[in-house]
Amino acid sequence: MGTAAQISGFGRRIAPHALPLAILVIVVVFAIAQPAFLKPENLIGILRQVALVGIMATATTFVIMTGGVDLSVGPVLAISGLVSYFCLAAGYPLPVVLAAGLGLGLFIGFANGAVIAFLGLPPIIVTLATLSIVRGSALLLGGPDLHLIREESAYTFIGTGNILGIPVSIYLFIAVALVLIFVQRRTPLGMLVAAVGENERAAFLSGHNTALTKTLIYGLSGLGAGFAGIIQSSQVHTAAATYGPFGTELDVIAAVVLGGTSLMGGSGSVARTVMGVLFLGIMNNGMNILNVPIDMQLIAKGTIIVVALAIAELK
Amino acid sequence: MSVTPLISGKGLTKVYGNFVALADASIAVMAGEVRALIGSNGAGKSTLIKVLTGAIAPTLGTVEVEGVIAPLGNPTEMIARGVACIYQHSNLAPAMSVLDNIYLGRQPTRGFGLLDRKTQRANALVLLERHGIDLDLDAIVGALPTVKQKEVEIAKALALDAKVLLMDEPTGWLAAADVARLHDTIRTLKARGVAIVYISHMLDEIFAVCDTMTIMRDGKVIAESAVKDIKRPKVVELMVGEKLARDSAGAALVGRKPRGSGAVRLGVQNLTKRGVFKNVSFDVHAGEIFCITGLIGSKRTEVMHALFGSDQFDSGTVELDGKAVKFGHPAEAMAAGIGFVTEDRHREGLMLGLKVTDNLVMATLKKFWRFGLLDRGGIERSAKKSILDLNVQPPDGRKLVKLLSGGNQQKVLLGKWLNLSPRVIILDEPTVGVDVGAKAEIYAILRAERDKGAAVLVVSSDLEEVMTVADRIGIMVSGQLKAIHDADKVTMSQVVNEIGEAA
Repeated sequence: MGTAAQISGFGRRIAPHALPLAILVIVVVFAIAQPAFLKPENLIGILRQVALVGIMATATTFVIMTGGVDLSVGPVLAISGLVSYFCLAAGYPLPVVLAAGLGLGLFIGFANGAVIAFLGLPPIIVTLATLSIVRGSALLLGGPDLHLIREESAYTFIGTGNILGIPVSIYLFIAVALVLIFVQRRTPLGMLVAAVGENERAAFLSGHNTALTKTLIYGLSGLGAGFAGIIQSSQVHTAAATYGPFGTELDVIAAVVLGGTSLMGGSGSVARTVMGVLFLGIMNNGMNILNVPIDMQLIAKGTIIVVALAIAELK
Repeated sequence: MSVTPLISGKGLTKVYGNFVALADASIAVMAGEVRALIGSNGAGKSTLIKVLTGAIAPTLGTVEVEGVIAPLGNPTEMIARGVACIYQHSNLAPAMSVLDNIYLGRQPTRGFGLLDRKTQRANALVLLERHGIDLDLDAIVGALPTVKQKEVEIAKALALDAKVLLMDEPTGWLAAADVARLHDTIRTLKARGVAIVYISHMLDEIFAVCDTMTIMRDGKVIAESAVKDIKRPKVVELMVGEKLARDSAGAALVGRKPRGSGAVRLGVQNLTKRGVFKNVSFDVHAGEIFCITGLIGSKRTEVMHALFGSDQFDSGTVELDGKAVKFGHPAEAMAAGIGFVTEDRHREGLMLGLKVTDNLVMATLKKFWRFGLLDRGGIERSAKKSILDLNVQPPDGRKLVKLLSGGNQQKVLLGKWLNLSPRVIILDEPTVGVDVGAKAEIYAILRAERDKGAAVLVVSSDLEEVMTVADRIGIMVSGQLKAIHDADKVTMSQVVNEIGEAA
């Protein structure tokens, strides 16, 4: 009894710090196994690799906090990139191009949210349907081709530019994360998301517009995916309907859940989602550096997610 | 009839920390006896029942079934010995048939894990026949009326060869005709030699169906009597205790303020929602506490939600300070100065996983908007003040609400609504699961709000509470407000009888 109580007491104290500790542990392990891991170029590479998933995961954290999910982020990424490409090709100025890509993502997100919040349909079904509709629309719009983005240095700067030796996409990820951490901690929306996630009925009975809150956060999730779509098309100088393939949404959800947000809803944190993103990114990178074959990587990734969740359950 | 009781508990004591839930309580029930177990909320009835079913182990004392000492705190063993309990809330699987429910979890099998439907059905028919229960075995339980569901529960218990049936407020959800039906079933069981313990607040029911009674108060057995040897007023006095009877009489003399300042703050006329409540009319004055009591399921909560805009009504009028209002969303009612301390703080009231501070400002968040941001400093100050005013223990705003005791959680919920400075404050079952000390504090807060001029509207099933805080009392029966009394001109037993008689 005594030891069990001690262990669980220890577990409870350590649980909030489990993720940062886990990150520290894997960094040390990879650094010992392959000193090149710690080279600045590699660390920057990790951040650059996680920027897209990171933006989408932080933007969808609120959705998961309310017990919802957004499965449509992959196709939204693709269609926002495509729409931006077509606007570029049509010669519109950069602000219009960005507004079109971001606006479409936001719109699709709002549509998801409105159907979920006002019609009371299950998020998993609604966003699965959206995933299909948006992918289909993207294919209709872009066909099977890769659309090359040429001589648009202002646009490609978003994905490939450097400031002080660090890729712009990393600054963008950091900016999105900081803004959303601020929204969560300092704005009414952050408080409402926590309230709806904890107890939607009580939030409604406290006079809050829970349906509007939910619509807004799905909009935010769509906006994040749209932003990621712009960055990606600018990074690879192409737009295509097939970008953001199946599995994109799972990477995003995995990062949020690793950050300690329960899929059942309830407490969650954007800052911890960032750590979840970093953890997954470091694992991927470390295994690549150590030449772990892709099959083993996938198995390891899945195992780690299950183990991490099991540890989270213990608290 | 044998002289050994079918079930008996001797010297049962249950202590939680400093709290004595059960103090040296004894009970014995013979075959063919229907024994009433009565007492106010918190008197220890549930604890006693839980000890008898093995759900909890007593700190001291023994339980015997047919004169044989039974293991304590072992529900499976008690069921095997024939002790079954029918709880207030259904434990049935609503989507399954009556037959499946009766044998849920222990279906006869034919080997290879296959169900033996034939034997099952034959056994069930014999069982129902023997006990004179009339049920369609193929009916889906969820589609049955509530009284039939109770019969399914009884049949389920009897299928376990129950010799002792403990029934915890079995009629709370039933209409009068159905109560009579259930009582017929109980009489049949009694004739078959089943020992029954019947918990109820309804004296009418107890005088109708029970042979003997055990009256509890503060964890002790206060009195035992044959039903025919005792009068109702004596029962009520024994239940609430002379001191409380005296105290509330004293409070009534000095404290009651029927119609408060005289101005009608909230006027409700002929409020109707089809199939739910009908022609509900009452006024709540500024500076009074108006309590609506009645059985659980008499649709009091539904009326409150209709007033607050969290549900709609079909016809009738609601006036606030003489002006007609109809709210489509709680936010509109709140803007008009109405607060609603909802029933069931876990499900409808609090965000258990959030901090005390955040919960306290949940209904008044708009006050802390500054250019689209939250004024964290203002929130902390406001919460700190609430915590001190309400004596929330521990006085730490950073604590998660789920870590507080029931009484302190309820104070946080109350504080959240007081921060709105409501002109009308509705409270639905404000002290369920709250200890005696916190109860007294909550009553003092209600009186203070009243004395500040608020109209206080309380829904409560706890008659002791109603008699303690009400200035006027409304009695609701099956969706209709049957009577309104000045609290200083009515006794508890009158109220009890009106609740029961009208049903």
